[in-house]
Amino acid sequence: MAALGTARRLLRTCSRVKNVQRGEQRSVRCGLRTLCSGTRDHALSDNTRPQFTDPAVQDLLTRMTGLDLQKVFRPIKEELKPPTYKLMTDQQLEEAVELATQQAEKLLQMPPLLSERKPISDVLSVDKILDGMDTAKYVFTDITYNILHRERFIVVREPDGTLRKASWEERDRLVQVYFPKEGRKLTAPLIFKEGNLKMVFSQDRHEDVLDLCLVQFEPDSSDYIRVHAATYEDLDKHGKYELLRSTRHFGGMTWYLLGARRADGLIVDMLKRDLLQDAVSLVSLFHMVHPHSESAQEAASQQAAGADLLKIYADKESQKSGYIELALQAYEQLTTKKSSAE
Amino acid sequence: NVHILPIYENYHGGYVVIRLALAGHKQANRPFYRIVAAYNKRARDGKYLEQLGSYDPLPNIYNEKLVSFNFDRIKYWIGCGAHPTKPVAKLLGLAGFFPLHPMTITEAERRRAQTELIATEDVLQEGQKEAEV
Repeated sequence: MAALGTARRLLRTCSRVKNVQRGEQRSVRCGLRTLCSGTRDHALSDNTRPQFTDPAVQDLLTRMTGLDLQKVFRPIKEELKPPTYKLMTDQQLEEAVELATQQAEKLLQMPPLLSERKPISDVLSVDKILDGMDTAKYVFTDITYNILHRERFIVVREPDGTLRKASWEERDRLVQVYFPKEGRKLTAPLIFKEGNLKMVFSQDRHEDVLDLCLVQFEPDSSDYIRVHAATYEDLDKHGKYELLRSTRHFGGMTWYLLGARRADGLIVDMLKRDLLQDAVSLVSLFHMVHPHSESAQEAASQQAAGADLLKIYADKESQKSGYIELALQAYEQLTTKKSSAE
Repeated sequence: NVHILPIYENYHGGYVVIRLALAGHKQANRPFYRIVAAYNKRARDGKYLEQLGSYDPLPNIYNEKLVSFNFDRIKYWIGCGAHPTKPVAKLLGLAGFFPLHPMTITEAERRRAQTELIATEDVLQEGQKEAEV
C-alpha cells in the first residue's frame, strides 16, 4: 500500500504554483530559470571573492538543500481528478524513483541571484518645440519577436517634448502587456505589501510567497530583493529553517545569511536535527565566503575537517557558541553510544 | 510592387499603405487602432496584408497612450515601397523612428497659443472681478 501511495505521488504532474484563484485548471509552472551568470556585487567584494554561481559553492548549497522526495512532490491544491494506480515490480519502482529524483533535482534548481538594477535615465532627445502637444505621454514599444526583453526599445515621449527611455517598472509592465507571461500580473499582488507579508509569515507560508515573488518580479528588481530579504529575516528571527529545507529557495537563504554573518541559528537548527554533514559544509562555505575572518584563518592553519571545523567556528565567530558546543557534545555522546552499542 | 502582388489581387495602380485600421467596433465610444500594412483600395477595416502594431488613443491609469511598432516588419514594407499615412507618420515621428512631422510641431504651437489665450482671458476676468469688488 505504501508503494502504491508513493507511486501515485511520483506520477502526479510536478508543477509548483497552481493558479487556484481561477475556476479552470491552470498549472502555472513557476519559471524554471536556468542559472544565470550574473555576478553579485558586495560592499566588501574582492576579485577573489567566491560568487553565488561558482560550481563549488553551488555544490555545497545543493547538498545542504537536501532532496526530500516526500516534500518536493507533496500534494498541491489542484483540480480534483481520480488518482491513477500502477502495478509495478520492485525494479520498475526503483526506476520510477530514479526518474523522480532527476525531476526533483530540476525542480530544485536555484533561482538566479543578481544585484539590484541601476535605474535607467537616458534621454534620447529634448524637443522644446513640442511642449504642450498633448496631455498624456506616448509610450512606444518595439514588438519585434526575435529580440530579448532586456534589449527591447521602449521609449516615452513626455507632454513637454522630451523623448526618454522607459524606466524599469514601465518596461516590466509593457513587456507583460505585449508578451504576457503566465502567472505574472500587471500590478503586483497586494500580498507583497509590508503588513500583508507579516500576516502571511505568521501563517508559515514563506515558500508560497517566494514562489509568487519569483513569478511576478524580475530577479534584479528592488521588489524581488526586498521581499526575499524580508522573508529570510523573518525565517531567521523565528528559526523556521525547516520550511525551506527541501525547496529551491534554501540556497538563496543560506547565501543571504552568510553574507550577513548570521548563520548561527541555521547551524544550531542543523545540529538539532542531527545533520552534522550539512553543518560542516555550511562552515566550510562560510570560510570560503569570508576568507579573512579569524575562524577561516585558524581553520586553514590547522587544516581542520569535520567536527573540529565546527568547534573552531563556535570558538571564534558565533555569538551562540554555548549552544553549538552543547549540541556538539550531545552529538558526540550519541555517536559514541551508537558505536559502543554496535 | 509587382513582386509582392499575390495571384488573386489585380489592382491597377494599387499600392501598399501603412495606416491605422479601427478594431473592436463592437463597443461604442472606445476606439482602438491597429497599425496595418494593406492595399490602398481595400476598406479601412477590411482584409490587410500584415499587422505591424497597435495604437490606443485613450490614456490609461498611468496617463499613457500605448503604441506598439514592429520596426523590423515596418522597415521591410517601407523597403517594398509602402506609403505611411499622415497619422502613422506623425506617430513614427513622435517615436523617433522618422523625423518629426511638421504638423505635430504646428499642432503643438497652436495648442500653446490656445492655452495662453485662455490664461490671459482668465487673468482679465479675475482683474475685472477684483475691480468690481
